[in-house]
Amino acid sequence: MTEPLLTIDDLQVSFASGEGDIQAVRGVSLSLFPHEVLGVVGESGSGKSVTALAVMGLLAKNAQITGSVHLEGHELLGLKERALAEFRGQSIAMIFQDPLTSLNPVYNVGWQIEEALNAHRDLSKEELHAETIRLLEMVGIPHAESRVNDYPHEFSGGMRQRVVIAIAMANNPGVILADEPTTALDVTVQAQVLDALKHVLENSGASLVLITHDLGVIAGLATRVAVMYAGRVVEIGSADDIFYRPAMPYTHGLLGSVPRVDDDGGGRLRQIPGAPPSMVGTKPGCPFAPRCPMRVEICTQVEPELRLVSLRGAAPPEHLAACHRADEAMAMPIGSMFSDSSADFEEPPTP
Amino acid sequence: MSDLTQSTTSESAVVSDGPLLEVKDLVMHYPKRSPGIFKRSVGTIHAVCGVSFNIDAGETLGLVGESGCGKTTTGRAILQLIKATSGSVVFRGRELVGADHAALTKVRREMQVIFQDPFGSLDPRMPVGETIAEPLRVHHLWTKSEGHRRVAEMMKLVGLEPRFANRFPNEFSGGQRQRIGIARALILEPKLLVLDEPVSALDVSIQAGVVNLLEDLQDRLGVAYLFIAHDLSVVRHLSDRVAVMYLGRIVEIGTQIEVYRRPQHPYTQALLSAVPIPDPRKERSRTHIVLQGDLPSPDNPPSGCRFRTRCWKAQEICGIETPELIERGGGHPVACHFPEVTEVV
Repeated sequence: MTEPLLTIDDLQVSFASGEGDIQAVRGVSLSLFPHEVLGVVGESGSGKSVTALAVMGLLAKNAQITGSVHLEGHELLGLKERALAEFRGQSIAMIFQDPLTSLNPVYNVGWQIEEALNAHRDLSKEELHAETIRLLEMVGIPHAESRVNDYPHEFSGGMRQRVVIAIAMANNPGVILADEPTTALDVTVQAQVLDALKHVLENSGASLVLITHDLGVIAGLATRVAVMYAGRVVEIGSADDIFYRPAMPYTHGLLGSVPRVDDDGGGRLRQIPGAPPSMVGTKPGCPFAPRCPMRVEICTQVEPELRLVSLRGAAPPEHLAACHRADEAMAMPIGSMFSDSSADFEEPPTP
Repeated sequence: MSDLTQSTTSESAVVSDGPLLEVKDLVMHYPKRSPGIFKRSVGTIHAVCGVSFNIDAGETLGLVGESGCGKTTTGRAILQLIKATSGSVVFRGRELVGADHAALTKVRREMQVIFQDPFGSLDPRMPVGETIAEPLRVHHLWTKSEGHRRVAEMMKLVGLEPRFANRFPNEFSGGQRQRIGIARALILEPKLLVLDEPVSALDVSIQAGVVNLLEDLQDRLGVAYLFIAHDLSVVRHLSDRVAVMYLGRIVEIGTQIEVYRRPQHPYTQALLSAVPIPDPRKERSRTHIVLQGDLPSPDNPPSGCRFRTRCWKAQEICGIETPELIERGGGHPVACHFPEVTEVV
């Protein structure tokens, strides 16, 4: 098997708060292989963004981080700011949700791309200009030559996100982390930006970690998918494994709860009762147990580890799930596990 | 008109045989202001330009489109939260545009609204039971004997425990807050509920519960919905009929099945083909129509068909003549000179 580009091992992140430590990430292990798109799905507070920020070394000072993040043979966790800067942009780059806050409003976009190029490369003025134009054209900005001197406010939301992608690609990093890159955009604009992103990946051969809550975006782009819940990866496998053979009840619930544009709308949506747990303090058992229709006694006592649920020969990727009853869950048809009735649905208020 | 006297009781029967709501040639223009302190008017923003549709009792009309297409403005103009530039909004036989305050207050009992943000639309210092009861008080319908019972009944109806009526909004999750908003909107037994992006701030697993609840409430109460949203999947799931808006105009309208299965307008086709389907094999084998260019500014919309600047079928006539929203042989009305049924989802 090929060596992973990026390996996250037992990453734990907690934040001190008045009510106790908030455990945002609780032992996440992930590997990113060359030429793959790893989709990370999960709802608000599942720890997917914090994981990405920890990898980039961008978390606030009150974050306590343990574990390891390996990139191209180097350990990133614990590195000083100056040492980290060598990797950022060069080997790994990040794309955020809101292009307006990731661009500097007082500099034109050409300047901002050149800044990224200058950080790691030694180019002449002419080379810088040519490279900037090439990057803008690569992400599909029309009339790039005449738009380099425009400011971010002169671009539409979709065009701004393309500029952000161009900046991320400036030094041809092997790994890109994209955190909800199209969530703020309208659906036709999202299609344009995803198109640009696909084009960029094909051209550069970079690998992508795509963090999103949109299962449709994941279905179109991801080769492997990790599902996160309550600060952990609860299921990981090929896109087909996750979408067609889910082995964790939470994944079943997610898939059953989304309406589809190609569905005539006769059926009912499946709903997951209750709400995600508070991340303060540790409770025994599986964090999904209070909402799980397959819960048995052991689920409230022992938190299940990620384990192999199926091995189709030796063919990677592995399909892992953190569930005591993973094999039974995998045998169930999607949509059969959760209720569609709004009558028996009563969430306890969160204290 | 006898309609007015009849409708003062909330149990009033349907007052006319026509549709519940009739929107005709609705126009909403805003002055465009210059930046700085003088805010001179430097142009006109054409937010809504001649929108017409009907909603029948008990049905759901989905109003979809992207940011800036005028769908929210249309909703607000129907509710008379903003004053329309011109056009007519007839609700149960009564004209609302230009109606006086007293007449509107009566109408508002039968026409309620739910907004997107379940955090911003509840008073954080008011117990949720009070919030739900507030419309009764505003309309002088609160009685000591009946009031609390009605609130408890509404809370049960939307899936909340009545014993939590004394708690404050911050003690509830996003989905529960949206349920509180729904209970408040329904306590007056309205005939029409305008829902402006009611589930887009919620996580998917929570969203499913609210969507199911909205379906059940319509079945039980017979209330009509104007469902305004940008999420085409949710709109399809909830709507009987769908209207697609682009730059202040409806480009296509029809039953949910017609619009999604047999879209005729190029914009509808591009919009539907852009929605990703959570099914890897299907999603990867689809061809997406990727639109070129950006949305034109609503202060200077293109002449004729407003979509023509991004349309792959545009001809000379598209810039000269505005296509009317009429049946053109495809089974439902479409505003395009060159309509063509194309399956995209």
